[in-house]
Amino acid sequence: MVNEFIQTADFKFIKNNLSILVQSLLKLLQSCEIMDKELLDKYTKLGRGNWGKDLAIWKTMYKGFLGMAKSERGFLNPGKSEELNPFIEMLLNAFLEIPKARKEGIPVIMHPFNYEPELFFAMNLAPLMQEILSVGLAFVHMNEPYIDYINNIGYGDNPTICNAQRPLISMAMQKAAPIPDLLFYLSTPCNSLAASYQVFQGLTGIPSYNIDVPYWAYEEASEYYDEKTMQYMINQSKNFITWLENNTKHKFEEQKFQQTMEITNEAREYTLEFNELLKAVPCPMPSITGFGVFLTMVARGGSPEAVKATKWFRDTAAENVKKGIGAVPDEKIRIAWPYTHVFFDINLLNWIEQTFNAVVVMDLLGHYKVLPQDTSTIENCFKSLALGTLDASMVGKCRGPLEYYLNYLIDYVKDYKIDCVIMPMHFACKHVYTMARIASEAIREETGIPTLIFGVDSYDSREVTSEELKSKISDFLTHIVL
Amino acid sequence: MTILEKFYQSIPLENPWIESWKKEGKKVLGTFCSYIPDEIIYAADILPIRIRAKGCAETPMGDAYLTQTACSFTRCCLEMANRKQYNFLDGMISCNSCDQIRRLFDNIRFKAPPPFHHFLSVPGNVNETTIDWFKHELTKFKETLEENFSVDISDNKLRDAIKIYNKSRTLLKELYMLRKNTAPPISGTDMMNILLTNVSIPKEQFNELLSQQLQEIDGKEGISDYKARIMLAGSMLDDPDYVKIIEELGGLVVTDAYCLGPRYFWDNVDETKNPMDALANYYMSRVSCPRMAGRQSNRVEHIVDLIKEFNVDGVILQRMKFCALWWGEIFIIRKKLKELNIPFLDLEREYVMSGVGAMKTRVQGFMEVLEAR
Repeated sequence: MVNEFIQTADFKFIKNNLSILVQSLLKLLQSCEIMDKELLDKYTKLGRGNWGKDLAIWKTMYKGFLGMAKSERGFLNPGKSEELNPFIEMLLNAFLEIPKARKEGIPVIMHPFNYEPELFFAMNLAPLMQEILSVGLAFVHMNEPYIDYINNIGYGDNPTICNAQRPLISMAMQKAAPIPDLLFYLSTPCNSLAASYQVFQGLTGIPSYNIDVPYWAYEEASEYYDEKTMQYMINQSKNFITWLENNTKHKFEEQKFQQTMEITNEAREYTLEFNELLKAVPCPMPSITGFGVFLTMVARGGSPEAVKATKWFRDTAAENVKKGIGAVPDEKIRIAWPYTHVFFDINLLNWIEQTFNAVVVMDLLGHYKVLPQDTSTIENCFKSLALGTLDASMVGKCRGPLEYYLNYLIDYVKDYKIDCVIMPMHFACKHVYTMARIASEAIREETGIPTLIFGVDSYDSREVTSEELKSKISDFLTHIVL
Repeated sequence: MTILEKFYQSIPLENPWIESWKKEGKKVLGTFCSYIPDEIIYAADILPIRIRAKGCAETPMGDAYLTQTACSFTRCCLEMANRKQYNFLDGMISCNSCDQIRRLFDNIRFKAPPPFHHFLSVPGNVNETTIDWFKHELTKFKETLEENFSVDISDNKLRDAIKIYNKSRTLLKELYMLRKNTAPPISGTDMMNILLTNVSIPKEQFNELLSQQLQEIDGKEGISDYKARIMLAGSMLDDPDYVKIIEELGGLVVTDAYCLGPRYFWDNVDETKNPMDALANYYMSRVSCPRMAGRQSNRVEHIVDLIKEFNVDGVILQRMKFCALWWGEIFIIRKKLKELNIPFLDLEREYVMSGVGAMKTRVQGFMEVLEAR
């Protein structure tokens, strides 16, 4: 049920914002060189029609990504811009799926960036990963008007509540947010996410479900091992399925679930192989690529498209390794980036690559490491589903004691022959920012390499500007690392 | 010394009751959250006290390790730990109350490790599966205490502890309900002192003091020279001076919603059940903290019920700076209060009292609004 906040939307505000967004995207499109008319036509046609008022921004973002896909720069596809790569195709289909689901009466379920959608695919539901909005809008500096609006309304500020979710609340209050049929979120990785999803639920009245991710680990080798964890997660997944069945007319079918988990595991195998290939010197893929792998799994894990995309990432990396091609010519510095990217500055990584012959091997999210499982039995499939949650990129490294993050980071530095660490800490991200200092001390002690820590709002270009970021990174790389 | 004055003696972290307890050779454990069942610690003949950071003046260590965008309570606690202000404790127990508390605990473990520490994984929502998990966590906790302190925590000892704690809850509720009166016999400031004492001294002694307090106020004339009846709700608050400012400006705090308040004592632990089952059920099912997902509407209803029951004129919502959970919660509470046409004031604060002038101005303005209604 949509409540009064939604009904009294400020349409003028939305109209103005959309206009800014469209102008930004048009600028981007104008700089693009269209290479494949047939594919462009196909996806342009698919994007036509009335998507519904609440999907106006979703549709504009689709058009923006379509433009980027055709860009001369070949987003995530250096030197091969004549192809529409499987990753971009997958991403476009993720956008298209929502209006299509609406048309066909398939329930849309909104979920956060730390839960893969395989269960939703298995139950024939349409997943909508919420943070695509805030990340996608950050590229074109379009979160800022929403952030200003929500600041005025009085829901959080940049250092308190994460702007990966806050624009959603702003949009919801202006009838500009996609309104799903169901809402789902986890208790991790942070309070901020849980708070905002609860507020979204409170504003819209959409039925919501939450799964608790325990603080402890399940790994037998770990001193934090707890045999109950896996069963706990499985039991919660089963409760969730019952809730999904009760709130949709869709029945859970074991066979479909098993098939979906097989597909998921195939993609997970490719991602692990991809991770291994990034150990090569020079690094075979550009700095942003890891994030693409993560996005594939979290937006489309469990779909054949995700298999195709992860295979493409793996094959491209393998080919480059074989040929000795590095993403950065004459690679001089290998950087670990154990946090999320600065989403508002899409060119930052390119700038690092070009200015310093440096490559960011992987970011925290891009370091996707969910181990493939045997899926021969239904219980094993549930185990595999649980692993996808427990080991989800940020969840796996941050849901437990600080030692988990340290172990991940030190292994990363050693295994990937890292020269320095850069931690661009998002102000509102309390659970990671509060580990950064100890992490930097541990890295220096264990590996002897330096760490740069700085505060930033990854979604708001005004807190710490691109120029300031570049200045900090430049000083660090020039005076300390090189 | 009046009974009320005795309660005031519990305000320093290391109070006379703790000193006497330690003189008997007994242990004291500090806890960080109301989701940690004190009963289990007490059953081990160990005194559980709520960790506070009273006396913290500056936070250079907290700022450096937790950053300046962490809440000032956690920064103060890290500072106090680093300055050995908690050295009278024999250990610390924490849980995943919120991101900042769990990372505070990590930082304390790394930078100023206590002699003993334990962490409870408290589920983030409430259903049969999560209650069962929590029971398992409590069992592990009990076993860890037994092993580390060479004690036996039998079911009988747990039952005794539950009884003693339930008695505190019953007495607190009895006193608390008197605040419904048109002329309540106790101010909000004094009530907060009593609530602080409740988590700072041995329970038997607390129960004795509280019983005496109830006798002392029985039949006495209450407070009637106030301008408005106030509810105080929000983040963790352990500073009676904060309440005092409101009351000096004419508001009388008659009810509250924060972790030391009614959430702690509104219901009793079931004494007829297996103690571990009863504790797991009680702590998970009582009126929750905003950390519990999916319970927001219950919490808002509870607040609305209190407003009606205690005949509240206006609500002061206070949230500690950088507290995401309470900001989310307050956003929805405000919406409800607006719907019900209940006046409210939204205040941001730091753990250590600061900006008193600005706060006074805003509270004064709020009182005028309430008086004019």
